[in-house]
Amino acid sequence: MNEPAAECEFVAEPPADLASPEFSSLYAENSRAIYYLALRYLSDPQKAEDATHDVFLKAFRKLDQFRGEASLRTWLYRIAINHCQNLRQGWHDRHVFSNADDAVWDNAVAKTDSPLRILETKELGERIQKTLDSLSDEYRLLLLLVADEELSYEQVGALVGQSPDAVRGKLHRARKAFAALFEKTA
Amino acid sequence: MKQQTKLSEEQQSRLAGTEQQAQQPAAREFATAEELLRFDAEHTTVPPAIARRLQQSTGGATAPKTSWWRKFLGGNL
Repeated sequence: MNEPAAECEFVAEPPADLASPEFSSLYAENSRAIYYLALRYLSDPQKAEDATHDVFLKAFRKLDQFRGEASLRTWLYRIAINHCQNLRQGWHDRHVFSNADDAVWDNAVAKTDSPLRILETKELGERIQKTLDSLSDEYRLLLLLVADEELSYEQVGALVGQSPDAVRGKLHRARKAFAALFEKTA
Repeated sequence: MKQQTKLSEEQQSRLAGTEQQAQQPAAREFATAEELLRFDAEHTTVPPAIARRLQQSTGGATAPKTSWWRKFLGGNL
């Protein structure tokens, strides 16, 4: 699998000259967040590229349906999550996460309070992907959304259909699960 | 002369240590998984092909007139 340029310093891409200045700006401000979610959720750079294109195209066509009740970022995430989940639907039956998530990670030996330490960023993307792939869909999505500082727990909760308190509780276990699995990838 | 040689050895040893330290990559620590993911996201480049494809897909079309742009820009559109 080709790993994206995780080693490169981020160079801001000039906004693409898309159908309108507003859409260009929408793309420039949100494309990285949507691409990153798709990349790490789908675990495939080509599928992530296709998904990001499809999400923005859908957004472009449905701009008139955006009611302004949520932020644009949240609205785009909702489209992206639905899209990615549909893509994964077919795989899901073949990759059933058999562990009872909560119980498993409650008893995990991993020290959640200890920092995640890395010696080099080389191949970090692969380690992260491997770790995320070993998590349940729910935990993977939760961590990816919480990682976006623009989203509050309330917004994450709305996106995953949970209360903010449930998000906090699950997040604790998701972190623990991630830490335990990440250590194994070293 | 002997002292000079000894000093030189110490200096060499110190220098070697410094070089070794310089070659060792500094460990980076992240308090939580989200912090690590955030770092990863910041270092992920969006393939330029997506914008090109979007340009083709929306080719010439203008974005539908939307109520949200009016809300977003305070009714200036």
